[in-house]
Parts: sequence; C-alpha cells; structure tokens
Amino acid sequence: MAGPLAQFQIKPIIPFDFAGYDLSFTNSSLWMALAVLSTTVLMMFTMRKKALVPGRWQNVGEILYEFISNMVSDTIGNQGRRYFPFVFSIFMIVLMGNLLGMVPYSFTFTSHIIVTGALALIVFLGATMIGIFKHGFHFLTLFVPKGLPIFIIPLVFVIEIISYLSRPVSLSVRLFANMMAGHTMLKIFAGFCVSLGAFVGILPMFVNVALVGFEILVAFIQAYVFAILTCVYLKDAIELH
Amino acid sequence: MTNNHDLKARIAAAKARQNDGDDTDTGTDGRAQIDGKAFGSAMRVGIELVSAIAIGTFVGYWIDQWLNTPPFAMIVFFFLGFAAGFLNLYKAQTKNYHKTGLGELTDTPKNGQKGSKEID
Repeated sequence: MAGPLAQFQIKPIIPFDFAGYDLSFTNSSLWMALAVLSTTVLMMFTMRKKALVPGRWQNVGEILYEFISNMVSDTIGNQGRRYFPFVFSIFMIVLMGNLLGMVPYSFTFTSHIIVTGALALIVFLGATMIGIFKHGFHFLTLFVPKGLPIFIIPLVFVIEIISYLSRPVSLSVRLFANMMAGHTMLKIFAGFCVSLGAFVGILPMFVNVALVGFEILVAFIQAYVFAILTCVYLKDAIELH
Repeated sequence: MTNNHDLKARIAAAKARQNDGDDTDTGTDGRAQIDGKAFGSAMRVGIELVSAIAIGTFVGYWIDQWLNTPPFAMIVFFFLGFAAGFLNLYKAQTKNYHKTGLGELTDTPKNGQKGSKEID
C-alpha cells in the first residue's frame, strides 16, 4: 500500500531536458493545465447564451464573477477595477486546483509550496512594483504609520518591513499547509479502513466522509482567503495612506 | 448505565446552553452555522504570527552572516519578528490600518466604527 505522502510525488509524464534544467511535463503540470482548461470551459460554457434572465448554468458564471467583482470593489474601491482580471485568475486557478485535487486519483498542485510560493511571489512582487511605480520614493511611507513620535519611527519602520516581508510567506504557507495536511489526513484515515479489517474498518470511513466535506469547504475558504489577501495587498500598494 | 445517563444529561445541558446564547450564531434548525468570513479570518491569523517570526529570524541570521556578528542580530531580529507577528495580527483585525495607523489605539472612536472585526 502506498504511504500517505506518496500522493504528492511529482512524476514526469513527458521527460524533457533543456540546458541542464529539468523541464519535464509532470503530473503537476498536467493538472495545472486541466485547471486552466476547466476554468476556461466553465466560463465559456456558462456564458454562451448571454441571456438577460440567466438560466441555471449562467447563474454559476455570474455568481463567480460577482463574487470577485464585489470583493475587488469593496476592498480596493473604484481604482481596483482594472485589477479584476488578475484577482479573478488567481482565485479561479487556486479554486480549481483545490477542487480538482478532491477528484480521486488526481493530483493537488496547490499542495506544493513551489506552486503556492510562485503564486504568492507574483502577487507580492506585482503589488510592490505597482506601489513603487505609482508613488516612487513616497512608497516607503507605507511602513510609517500615522501619529507616531519621531524617535520611535526607526524601530517601527524595521518592524513594518519584517511584517511586509512576511506576507508572501504566510500567503503561500497557509494554502500549501492546509491542502497538504488535509489530503494527508484523508489518506491516513483511508489507510485505517484497510488495516482495521472489514467490520471495524467501516468506522474510519465515516470519518473520511466527513473529512471530504470539510476539505471541499477548505478548498473554497482557501481560495477566498488567497483572493482577498491579493486585494488587500493591492489596496495597500495603490492607496498607501 | 449511569454513564449513559450522565452523558445524556450533559448533552441536554449543552443544548440548553447553546440555545440560551445569542441567536446570531445558530441557524433556524438550531445548529451552529459556519460563517465563511469568520472562518476565513480564523484561517488567516494562525500563520501570520509564525511567518513574521521566521522572516525576522532569517533576516537576523543573514545580517549576522554579512557583518560577522553572530548571534546578536539574530536575537534582536527574533524579537523584532515577534513584534511584527503581533502587528500582523493587529492588522488582520483592523479595517483601514494604513489609513488610521497605530493612532487608533489612543484616538477616541468615531461613530463607533473602530476595530471592525470584518477582514478587509
């Protein structure tokens, strides 16, 4: 029987080596491509009729759109409209990654810190660059809260810088740790079913049923948290004070 | 047998206690409902503290390597990281932190909008 961590193994499907770098098309890449494909198909399929009164499928697409649209305008404000496509893409790739990971025999690419770390770095570096281009040197006032005595500013500045640098870490580790812990736990309880035999082995199965439901909840919550933190970071970079 | 009775009495007491509590937390069927926003907020704060400590310690270690002064910078930046972690927690629970800053701690609340629990 495979161990509970065997599900996270990266397996090359199409081996490819370029200038000493391993650029193979792996099972991780496959499910990332499927996530992008399923997002595109979902949005195009649900919006194919463009009816004034939405049907059931069109409602799905409109709910997704309005959910992120409201999140962006509530958090960033009117200036944030232009970042809607970015936030929507981030939300959908994380959500699809989490949900496709719930399909049996699939691969959860959001359970790898290299994937979530790359996503978090895109958000972090993007927001920082937007802030610097928009405000120039003035961007540093983000690290000086209002109403401070002048002699305490250097100390608070250092603390704020550390707090700012911890953003991509907490953003990536939260998603990765939740997905990896959840999927490991599913496998462990499934393993109990086998090792406890036919009669007692039923009991961990019920736990597993509850855990699958919980994991689907976590999949949505984590995508929501990732998207809303993207909005918060963008807002900080755009507005400063 | 007595054990069973005891458990039933405790369940009944717990149910009564839950119904006595504020009704906003319980749905129409009396069971606790999961509030998505609150749950998301709870998921946020746990890692915020730890990540800031990790970053602070790492920055201190890096400065030690650079200036060849181990272990002083690492110790100092460990505590600064701790401070940054609590700052993260404060930010996560405060709306418009960058508009109001730390001044909100001493200012009088305006229209009772201070310290909203919603995540922003």
